[in-house]
Amino acid sequence: MSRALSAAVLGVIYAFLLLPLVAVVAASLTAGELMRVPPEGLSLKWFQRFLASETFREALLLSLQVALTTVVVTVVLATLAALCHRALSRRLAASFRLAMTLPLLLPELLTAIGLLFFLNSIGLGKTLTGLQVAHVVIAFPFAFLAIVAALEQVDPAMEEASASLGAGGFETFRRVLLPLARPGMLTGGLFAFIVSFDMFTISLLLKPVGGNTLPLALFDFLTYDFDPTAAAAATLSVLFAVIGVVAIERMVGLRRAF
Amino acid sequence: MTQIDIIGLTKRYGTTLALDGVTLQAREGELVSLLGPSGCGKTTTLRCIAGFMDPDGGDILADGASVTDLPPQRRDFGVVFQNYALFPHLTVFENVAYGLGVRRVPKAEQRTRVAEALAMVRLQGLEDRLPRALSGGQQQRVALARALVIRPRLLLLDEPLANLDARLREEVRWLIRDVQQRARITAFYVTHDQAEAMALSDRIAVMKAGRVAQFATPREIYQRPAEAYVARFTGEANIIPVRPRDRTAGGGFHVPFGGVVLPVSGVEGIRPGDAAMLMLRPEALSITDPGAPDAIPALVLGAAFLGAALACEVSLADGMRLRLQASPHGTVQPGMTVGLAVDTAHAWLMPDIPQ
Amino acid sequence: MKRLLPRLLLGLPAVALLTLFFVLPYVEMVAMSFRAPAFGQPFGSGHTLMHYGRALGDPLYTGALVRSLLTGALITALCLLVSFPLALHLSRLQGRWHVVFYACIVSPLLIGVLVRNFGWMVLVAVDGPFNRWAMAAGLIERPVRVLFTQGIVVMALVHVFTPFMVLPIATALRNVRPELREASASLGAGAFETFRRVTLPLSFPGVQAGVTLVFVLSVAAYVTPALLGGQGIAYMPAVVVRELIGSFAWPFGAALAVIMAASTLAVVTVFTLATHRLAERTRA
Repeated sequence: MSRALSAAVLGVIYAFLLLPLVAVVAASLTAGELMRVPPEGLSLKWFQRFLASETFREALLLSLQVALTTVVVTVVLATLAALCHRALSRRLAASFRLAMTLPLLLPELLTAIGLLFFLNSIGLGKTLTGLQVAHVVIAFPFAFLAIVAALEQVDPAMEEASASLGAGGFETFRRVLLPLARPGMLTGGLFAFIVSFDMFTISLLLKPVGGNTLPLALFDFLTYDFDPTAAAAATLSVLFAVIGVVAIERMVGLRRAF
Repeated sequence: MTQIDIIGLTKRYGTTLALDGVTLQAREGELVSLLGPSGCGKTTTLRCIAGFMDPDGGDILADGASVTDLPPQRRDFGVVFQNYALFPHLTVFENVAYGLGVRRVPKAEQRTRVAEALAMVRLQGLEDRLPRALSGGQQQRVALARALVIRPRLLLLDEPLANLDARLREEVRWLIRDVQQRARITAFYVTHDQAEAMALSDRIAVMKAGRVAQFATPREIYQRPAEAYVARFTGEANIIPVRPRDRTAGGGFHVPFGGVVLPVSGVEGIRPGDAAMLMLRPEALSITDPGAPDAIPALVLGAAFLGAALACEVSLADGMRLRLQASPHGTVQPGMTVGLAVDTAHAWLMPDIPQ
Repeated sequence: MKRLLPRLLLGLPAVALLTLFFVLPYVEMVAMSFRAPAFGQPFGSGHTLMHYGRALGDPLYTGALVRSLLTGALITALCLLVSFPLALHLSRLQGRWHVVFYACIVSPLLIGVLVRNFGWMVLVAVDGPFNRWAMAAGLIERPVRVLFTQGIVVMALVHVFTPFMVLPIATALRNVRPELREASASLGAGAFETFRRVTLPLSFPGVQAGVTLVFVLSVAAYVTPALLGGQGIAYMPAVVVRELIGSFAWPFGAALAVIMAASTLAVVTVFTLATHRLAERTRA
């Protein structure tokens, strides 16, 4: 009896977590003209309409551009920072880690407001560069944590073994740490991509004149329209997340990455 | 005071049989040790008794009434865990009082009973400390007090000394024995340390691959082991494959060994002519003059000075190697040829059972 | 350690990035809140305290602030209610199933807030599945308009923040050694008693982390109320954003943001102090 009850409670909670996501995907696949869940027949026509829309296409391209740049910059910075973290003593490492993850712990809105003023004061207000920098700041902690987690799996004795075999610091990094950190870097890169691709508040306050990212375009669209094109746009985000989760589980294991 | 009977306990993990018909008994006020290497089933047995694990077959009786289907909280068995399992967020007092609080014992009575229990384990003045501010030995005492304060019908101890250093281990071992005897409480004690089991137990169950290989007093187990496995696990022993020739008048066996024939007692049921195992504890062997009557000639391979004795390894003419303890005052040196005398009172013949 | 220094230098770019584009912006935000207002441009020259006076004196703003803090507290409490069973479930699983359910909880984190909110829009639309199912089940006679109510905003935010609550609690629960539950049982405690006296208190480090994080994030949540709440209810983040990009009044917007941050911090501090004893006892 109590087993059945707890199973039911858990079932409701899991449904609560997953139903909205299922609804988005289902709505995008409808063959009808209205947003319907369950969909009325299956088709990919709303994805075609999504890609045919100039507003969405431009927004998608901008989002992809910003996200990919974010990945490259973030992974390089985060890898270096993770190696530094590894060299620190336990207590220092804990403080360093907290400092590096602050952008994740403070509300995006406040960071966005601060950046709005600051970027303006250094002449980067309403520019693509400014937006790009902001995306890197927010995505950085995700990549950092993933790479730190991956490096934690590497026994420090390996570096000592490499050094004892005559390899210098850079050689040890290239031959030992880098290969072992690669899954973490890939995971971190994926995180950075997804976080940047989905970022809303930062983009809303800092977007360059005339440039909309996909979430902004979707928000504008939803304010006036409510047809399955929006679901198609949103499904893209769900798709990336699913790919991300599967890839991360394969590469480093989910529990280590979060 | 409770008598515990364990009858034919079986437990299967997947395809491996962890317990294969364990039958044991602890009489009122008796301390019974479960002794064996890791994986022999001793901890599984204890966990089944505690109720943390359901056996697949068999029964557990407390004073004749089955407790097998009772959940642990209704068995009234106190458990002392290997890592103590003290509640980290509760003080020493709160830890010990836990079982009383659960039983809704009035606060005033809780205070006196906790004080009694802490006095029994000789730990006073630390009532307000959290477990992490205690040493290993102190934590162990709290764990013991916490299990005793509920006045359990049975005390279960799972390698309680494993995480203590050697000096403390001795001290806490005596404390456990003392407390168990004064409280006159029936107890099962799991350990892989034969010295611990010998020192503490009224009876020892030596376990082997999910079964009880022998269940007897420490003296019996040491002097008259049922098989070579038990002999090896309960102390140093020379185990020699032999074939007994015939029976002696006293019910023992004539065993040819090293060129002489020894009259030794042994396990019932061995038949003359069968393959058997002769156990010679190091103290059954001594060094004599090579010319003495019935002395077995041997070559000294090595000798190590241990203080109270000289540990020697010798080899016989057929290459058989034996360990023994010689007097530290002797002049035994590697390379010497000596004579070996066997004290047949300390020799024992066992059936040849595969390990 | 002669090779230590080069290693430390590796951290420099990241430290520089965060100092420049994270720490300084927060400093800039506080500084901005003291700047004089101006017409035709975001801010003027000179310094003033007038923005704080104006913000704290006008019930429009204090009302929004209080509403945001109360809603934040409600969301946090609901999150805790939803997350505890999930964390408990997750912490007891092993192997394959653990990964599957872990993925269920973590994957929403990788999906943008906007998309997750949109999912709720689809579900609760007037002609959406919830209304149709409820009508089919005879629970309601005609479709109920849920969108643009406070209820749907709270529900969607609980949905957004649940993973942030589940993960730290599940971690804390995993650190509760199973022998402690066994010890409790052997001392006579039933399942509920063991939960109340052992498991629940020992999960507190995770609860504290989760509650703090969710409260901070939910008070400052902008997107969800903007999308699902409509124009009717004013929460603080929306008010701030309106001042900044609608009215172009940067100093006043900054003052509102600082007030929001400071009051959030005050609530978190009070919570931390109030639970100090429990936290001290249960820290790992």
